[in-house]
Amino acid sequence: MIPKPITDQGQRIIRLHDAKFSYDPGVDVLRGLSLIIRSGEYVAIVGGNGSGKTTLAKLMNGLLRPKSGEVEVLGKDASKQSVAELSKIVGYAFQNPDHQLFCASVEEELAFGPQNLGCSHDEVWLRVEYALDKMGLGHIRKSPPLTLSLGERRKISIASIIAMDPRVLILDEPTTGLDATETSELMATIRKLNGDGRTIILITHEMKLVAEHANRVIVMSDGHILVDADVRGAFSDSDLLRQSRLVPPQISQLAHSLSEDGISKDIISPTEMVFELMRLRGNGR
Amino acid sequence: MTAFVDLYSEGDTFLHRLDPRVKMIAVLTLSLLAFILSGLTNLLCLLAFVFVLMALARAPWAKTYFAMKFVLRFMALIVIMWPLFDRSGTPVLASLGPIVITEPGVLNGLTSAVRVGCLAMVWYILIFTTAQRDLVRALVKMGVRFDFGLTLAITLRFFPSFSMVIASIMDAQRARGLDFSKGGLMKRSKNYVAVLAPAVVTSLRTAQALSLALLSRAYGARSDRTYLRELRMRPLDYVALAVVISLLVLPALAIYVLGMSL
Repeated sequence: MIPKPITDQGQRIIRLHDAKFSYDPGVDVLRGLSLIIRSGEYVAIVGGNGSGKTTLAKLMNGLLRPKSGEVEVLGKDASKQSVAELSKIVGYAFQNPDHQLFCASVEEELAFGPQNLGCSHDEVWLRVEYALDKMGLGHIRKSPPLTLSLGERRKISIASIIAMDPRVLILDEPTTGLDATETSELMATIRKLNGDGRTIILITHEMKLVAEHANRVIVMSDGHILVDADVRGAFSDSDLLRQSRLVPPQISQLAHSLSEDGISKDIISPTEMVFELMRLRGNGR
Repeated sequence: MTAFVDLYSEGDTFLHRLDPRVKMIAVLTLSLLAFILSGLTNLLCLLAFVFVLMALARAPWAKTYFAMKFVLRFMALIVIMWPLFDRSGTPVLASLGPIVITEPGVLNGLTSAVRVGCLAMVWYILIFTTAQRDLVRALVKMGVRFDFGLTLAITLRFFPSFSMVIASIMDAQRARGLDFSKGGLMKRSKNYVAVLAPAVVTSLRTAQALSLALLSRAYGARSDRTYLRELRMRPLDYVALAVVISLLVLPALAIYVLGMSL
């Protein structure tokens, strides 16, 4: 079955309109959010701890229901659908993989979601193979997940969501506790998933990842959306940065400092910096 | 959302300031008193006394109601069920086929319900007015080994976090399409494996990390450890202790030595 080519790039998948949420009466965690996520986007959600990032993500897949306002998934009211139904469209990989993994082998772990969705035996195996392949887990397919490293456990937890073939993949701080190699491997894999047309929503604290991977950044603060802009614009706008109390990636800071020497302010990755320097040197000659 | 909350409320009332050892002894004596009293009037007096204590502790009604909801249901159940099974004595108040309701049956039911109410309230007041660390501190001071005290403290401390972990695990599995409300008994119990396994693993990991953290802070290095808060009995504590002990001893003497029926 997989991969069904996703050909509806730009279609509206998730729409929030003035969505409010509170865990305890009187203490609003989300104070009326409106946003639209379109098919194929790579969106980063950033903001301090307690700013409402995870709560927002849980609204999108129905784990939490808005106290008021609307949440729509593929044009249908999310509050009228069960989490199980929504999980076919919006997959959510939890921050702590240990809250998710319980099976005796990686294969079984990946099969659990498709089985819950009622897939046929053959379909389940196709999806397991697909997810193993996508996340590069083939060599440990028979291993018990809980004995593997954190990096591997996190990949398994993401693979277990991919096996459900969701159009949107929400990743909640997927790189926490990973070393540099594990992080870049995981990010490269996520990029490939986005390349296949899957919509990625990345919750993270690492601005470097945001700058190098996402196209759009949503900055949350105190239950509000402070900024919703394309990444390049957000990181080169120093007023916006100051207001949202974000520290841009070092390469952007460097570009800012060197802007008087002719370096463009909107550089957000080392590769861009290399090209920019080459361009300048070329001019100098 | 929170499945378990610590019932302790910060406060500065007479009961909050009382030495936790006195409070624990008071709870034991008052509980025993509720057991040895058999007259409904006397038990109602005890209940009234407990209500006075609760007023002294300034327990907010909402919290008390939350804590007492289950006890109230249990009390109602006793009042209803007791007369159905206790058909002793006369006069008979009502009879319908095999069901016979007698006056002593109804009275005994009420008595037992009030007794349960007294017990629950007394323990609630203790937990409401005493921080968990003070309870543990009092136990250790009264001769319980520090290890056991610490184990108890950690258990109590981790209840709320553990219930949050369970909630998070259930969310994580729901996000994988697991529907806890569907299926028969077998299917449903199987569903809970998906919650139990990660819960056990997570708590074992937490326990291991915690034990290492304790060791790295020199836990058990010396047997004569010192404490941040020393418990010291003040005159008022002794007075309170004398009052609660006499509250048990006097009725006990009256019942078991003088043979009075209270």
